[in-house]
Amino acid sequence: MGIAAERIDRLATLAREAVTAGETDRARRYVRLARRIAERNRLTLPRSFRRFTCDACDAYLRPGRNARVRLADGHVVVRCDCGATARYPYE
Amino acid sequence: MPLTPETLTRHELVGLQTRVVESTNPDSVGIGGRVVDETMRTLVIEGDRVRRVPKQGTTFEFALPRTDEAADAEKASGTTFELPSETAGRTGQSDGCEDVAYVTVDGTRLLSRPALRTEKAGVSIWR
Repeated sequence: MGIAAERIDRLATLAREAVTAGETDRARRYVRLARRIAERNRLTLPRSFRRFTCDACDAYLRPGRNARVRLADGHVVVRCDCGATARYPYE
Repeated sequence: MPLTPETLTRHELVGLQTRVVESTNPDSVGIGGRVVDETMRTLVIEGDRVRRVPKQGTTFEFALPRTDEAADAEKASGTTFELPSETAGRTGQSDGCEDVAYVTVDGTRLLSRPALRTEKAGVSIWR
């Protein structure tokens, strides 16, 4: 694993911890930095990172805390506190 | 590439324990804690309170937790690392804690946008 991939990994963990501690804006900084590193180094962000971050406001999502998760027919709906929704298919 | 003294300047600093050991501002010497944020020219350190310290003119001492992976790389780095940092040196175990390596780094070496620091060594992938 390169330095960039490892930094993204660490930032994801840090963002998760920051949200748990109530520091949502700090988590946002980490998510933005991780996205920027991925962009610069042409890496695909891990699926867990993509699923647990908000595309609209870069918040790190913890279901029940700053995100609501619903199951609908054939897809999961994740709504961030900012109002943005993301839908993922499931089998 | 694990976090080692050789890769520290290109690696993630957020989340590491650090301490200011030398500074052009005498008041900031001794500031210690966890790095919580980084900008192009400053580090934000959270100890008993949150302080923003300029990188320029400051020498930081980072505490690196030593993992197995890092220890292996440490052994290998004796011959293979291509970019030895002149100012980065191990100061040994000053706190009596085991499994922690202390690395002093001149803050000037960290002057770069946080996302771009990783790319500073080697050949650009954007050629």
